[in-house]
Amino acid sequence: MIRLQNVNKDYGGRPALVNTNLNIGLGEFAFLVGPSGAGKSTLMRLLYREEVPSSGKVFIGGVDITRIHARQVPLLRRRLGIVFQDYKLLPRQTVFDNVAYILRALGVDQSSINRRVTSALCVVNLEDKAKAYPDELSGGEQQRVGIARAIVNGPPVLLADEPTGNLDPQTSLEIVQLLERISSRGTTVLISTHDQFIVNSLRRRVISLRNGEIVSDVDSGTYEMEVKVATP
Amino acid sequence: MRQLRILARVGMETILGMRKSGWSNWLVIGILAVALTIFGGVLQLTMTLKNVVNAWGSQLEISAYLKDGYDPKAIAREISQLPQVSLVEIVPKDVAWRDMQSSFRVAGVNNPLPNTLHVRLNSMQVVEKTANKLQKIKAVEHVRYPLKVARNINRLRHFLELAGIIVTGALTTATLIVIGNTIHLVIEARQREIEILSLMGVNPWYIKGPLVLQGAAYGLGASLLSLIILFGVNIYADSYVREQLLSFLPLLPNNMEYGLLPTFIILLLLGVAVGAGGSAWTSGRYIKV
Repeated sequence: MIRLQNVNKDYGGRPALVNTNLNIGLGEFAFLVGPSGAGKSTLMRLLYREEVPSSGKVFIGGVDITRIHARQVPLLRRRLGIVFQDYKLLPRQTVFDNVAYILRALGVDQSSINRRVTSALCVVNLEDKAKAYPDELSGGEQQRVGIARAIVNGPPVLLADEPTGNLDPQTSLEIVQLLERISSRGTTVLISTHDQFIVNSLRRRVISLRNGEIVSDVDSGTYEMEVKVATP
Repeated sequence: MRQLRILARVGMETILGMRKSGWSNWLVIGILAVALTIFGGVLQLTMTLKNVVNAWGSQLEISAYLKDGYDPKAIAREISQLPQVSLVEIVPKDVAWRDMQSSFRVAGVNNPLPNTLHVRLNSMQVVEKTANKLQKIKAVEHVRYPLKVARNINRLRHFLELAGIIVTGALTTATLIVIGNTIHLVIEARQREIEILSLMGVNPWYIKGPLVLQGAAYGLGASLLSLIILFGVNIYADSYVREQLLSFLPLLPNNMEYGLLPTFIILLLLGVAVGAGGSAWTSGRYIKV
């Protein structure tokens, strides 16, 4: 579902990703770990075409997204659910409206919007907060709204860039378990994080980045294992 | 159906965006209305003056004095074939002599006057050229026309046209700058929202569309306001202007004033086009999606 082929990315000569090759299958759940500056966010930005690689190819669902026209980028992003560290919710809109926004922009009829938003809010267990505004919610709840918004259009791929960065360990675990549940329904989920507690708690596929290079890729890994493997 | 829902949504986003802009909407509309009112006023005045100058010019005529032995009717027919000629009036030498005799006591002299043709033209811009052409006709002895007046009228016409273009250009630029800056402020205020929408895969035109419509709404509001002002001014100023014009040029027809309707249509179209255009340009420049 996600494939990187010999991808290099540099910013003004400073390498952010070096000859990166990666394959993540349909319905897979994986962590992308590494210290700050390892290249996690760059890799994520390449996947949703916020950036283009200096060289190499990036495939989503078999389509090389480095070659698509700028006009097609919105279409690509609708096939991806994106979850952000800072939630990126619209502050003057209710939870329902935040989740419904993309559907309205796509011209979906109101009854379908009601059904799909309610269903997404049920998945994240926030159906009783539909009328609340973001600033009336806790950090964990805001992130769950972000996840509901990301899944409401039924994307085959969900990208979560440091989704637990602003949350306490318990809430972080709940959020990641929620993402795991979503993955179990067939959605490919890639989470970038440097939170070793959640990585170690789930023991799922762990891809480790260091200085822009993938230094390990283990199926049932832990954060400590990755660090050991990565440290000579 | 889906497209209609999207369009309705874009309209709703426009209204929401304008609501968020609050009092600054009125500020922008006010500034634009001032610019459009000045433009409308200058347009009205320029076009009226142009009408006056044109009417003045259309009264200019070329007098062609014919050699003896030629039939004035035949020459008049030949001249009236020229496309720029609107009227040829024949003054036979006998008629001219009779008129002269009725005004002056002239006795014992044979009629020395020639047959004369008074030639009026469609456009005063071709007076000189036509006069030269007439001079070349074999039957024409001599032509006379007020050369200096024709040149001055043409100069005034060119000046008015140039002034109109300069004022239009300056006010359109000013309007574009005001609209552009306002929409830029709206974009700055909504930067985060725009980023989120872009990342969610919302179409760029869905993001920019409401801003363009907002600009068009500013232009429409401002042009309507300027129409009300111009209409009010017209009610009070019309009789004064007419009086002044007639005191200057008493022989001119009464309906020299340029109609308000064309000015209104131009203002509406210009307001909306500049509003939408300025906004589209600013959106394209500052929203990278």
